[in-house]
Amino acid sequence: MTLLAIDNLETDFVSRTLDDEIRVAHALNKVSFEVNRGEIVGLVGETGAGKSLTAQSVLGLLRAPARVVGGEAVFDGRDLLTLPPAEMNELRGYEIGLVVQNPRTSLDPLCRIGDQLVRMQRAHRPVNGRVARKKAVDMLAAVGIPEPERRMRAWPHELSGGMAQRVLMAMALINEPRLLIADEPTTGLDVTVQAAILDLLRQIVLERSMGALIITHDLGVVAHYCERVAVMFAGSIVEEGTVDAVFETPSHPYTRALLSATPERLKLGSGRQLGGPPPDLYNLPIGCHYRDRCERVRDICTTPPPATDLGEGHRVQCHFAKDLEGQPL
Amino acid sequence: MNAIGDTDQTTATPLAERRPILTARDLVKEFDVGGATLHAVNDVNFTIRQGEIVGMVGESGSGKSTIGRLVLSLLKQTSGDVTFDGENLASLSDKALRALRARMQIVFQDPWSALNPRMSVGRQIGEPLLLHTNLSRSERRQRVERLAERVRLPAKFLSRTPAELSGGQLQRVCIARAIATEPELVVLDEPTSSLDLSVRAGILELLAELRRELGVAMLFISHDLGTVKLISDRIIVLYLGTIVEEGPASLVFGAPAHPYTQALMSAHLPPNPRAPLKRHVLEGEVPSPINLPKGCRFASRCPVALPECSDSLPPLVATGEEDRRAACIRIADGGNRLNL
Repeated sequence: MTLLAIDNLETDFVSRTLDDEIRVAHALNKVSFEVNRGEIVGLVGETGAGKSLTAQSVLGLLRAPARVVGGEAVFDGRDLLTLPPAEMNELRGYEIGLVVQNPRTSLDPLCRIGDQLVRMQRAHRPVNGRVARKKAVDMLAAVGIPEPERRMRAWPHELSGGMAQRVLMAMALINEPRLLIADEPTTGLDVTVQAAILDLLRQIVLERSMGALIITHDLGVVAHYCERVAVMFAGSIVEEGTVDAVFETPSHPYTRALLSATPERLKLGSGRQLGGPPPDLYNLPIGCHYRDRCERVRDICTTPPPATDLGEGHRVQCHFAKDLEGQPL
Repeated sequence: MNAIGDTDQTTATPLAERRPILTARDLVKEFDVGGATLHAVNDVNFTIRQGEIVGMVGESGSGKSTIGRLVLSLLKQTSGDVTFDGENLASLSDKALRALRARMQIVFQDPWSALNPRMSVGRQIGEPLLLHTNLSRSERRQRVERLAERVRLPAKFLSRTPAELSGGQLQRVCIARAIATEPELVVLDEPTSSLDLSVRAGILELLAELRRELGVAMLFISHDLGTVKLISDRIIVLYLGTIVEEGPASLVFGAPAHPYTQALMSAHLPPNPRAPLKRHVLEGEVPSPINLPKGCRFASRCPVALPECSDSLPPLVATGEEDRRAACIRIADGGNRLNL
């Protein structure tokens, strides 16, 4: 069952130069994908591809000069993009949990962990103090924090990175949201801590049949913890599908370059050029946005690539998707 | 000294027979933290041979970066010796040490803070030449241009300031600066951790090429296991400032011996959904380096620990396979294998 359906989301950066010219950057271009109940969806792509911007657009967290100019994001029958701020506030943190990247800056340094967890509950519903504290302790225990009663009194600076990230996870989950959006939830954490946090996330998603969107640049995380994946490049979803389909038969040249660049598949000394600068969002190439970096670029790439459906929800935006499907990297 | 790019070291002596360029002996580093002593590095011994890439892995707080700074004498050790090409760094005068710095360099994780934001990148690449050589201004400029070419940085960027370059380009600047004086050892402290995948691939490609062509040895510090496995000849695994395992990359990754190495490797997620995961999630937290456990540092979290593991620190001994050493008393009785 679909929990969140993002359809043709478009976000622009609109700025005015000193000469009073209006400059528009198309930061998100017709982004569409879904998150279903009981599944974790991975959103991958390089820095500046628009991953976090997608989450911010959906959650109404954009700041000027960014603004949503088109599309919809339907959650529970309501379009989040047109929701009045008061209703959005009601949903955010209650039905939709958010875990942001940096645990150090996302916790209030002047508020004990327990108080923050209580505050989180009371922001949405009147809750008896004792009940709220009990729930906070249970939640800390659930995210794997030892001695939760004692940790309730801890200050954020007393926590290690892994512990702080778990507290953020507890904050996002304490109101039992139906959807969780996690922006780089394990970046910067040690691998053994990362493993524990992702195991926990998967367990909670399954138990409560929630949906989760993980924004990450770690393809290993996607391969082992997500059911489906969407690959972004320059503000567009260039490929999406089940993790098995996208990793086994990557069919967009960008996805293929991305997979080839992972240390596990990288062959040193091949001399193959895998990267390149991201396109200028103020001046995107006409047609396929990836064409300036694409190994297979042809004349036809100056026309917009069609969305090619390779079956079972494996969709690719490339003129050559069918040719590339199933070819070795 | 050979000019940059003029030599090919691929046909040189096998790694194991080469001369050690750097030796760390009984290296100890303690920090004073508000009256208490933090034991960051404890009796660490290792060698880096000419042209060898040694990968150093371990989690935050394991002492990786501290060791990287100790071997370059950027930090003073509490005890123990660092020998660079036969010279004990501690015995050198400031002047002699400064001269030696031309032969050992460092590249940091974050190129944005490693470069002067107000100086052109070309001048920054040339600075080591200004400090360590007698080259004329025009010779230096030529050399900087060749270095830029060497690290595939278009010459037009040389007159720009760091703010005008991307992260990958800045890291190339840092690498060019590090190899400007043709050092024999470069310490790389998480050089690719802040970079995107494709940019990272380009940097790794470049480092492998530099090693091949310049024969420069590298201490590659990283927590990214995939990257370390790809680039390193030998691996050193640290836990709480102590080496728990050391050996050829293929062996340490393929058949880790120490229970901690096994747990660490099992937490690595290869970007292939079909790759079977045999996960062992470690319980508990890393003990405090202020209050080090008496015996094996890993015993409190080790699933195969025996009571005697907490009695005394296990020595780092040869495991019998190739050139591998590990510090675990359970290897002898075969009980070191985790149930993965």
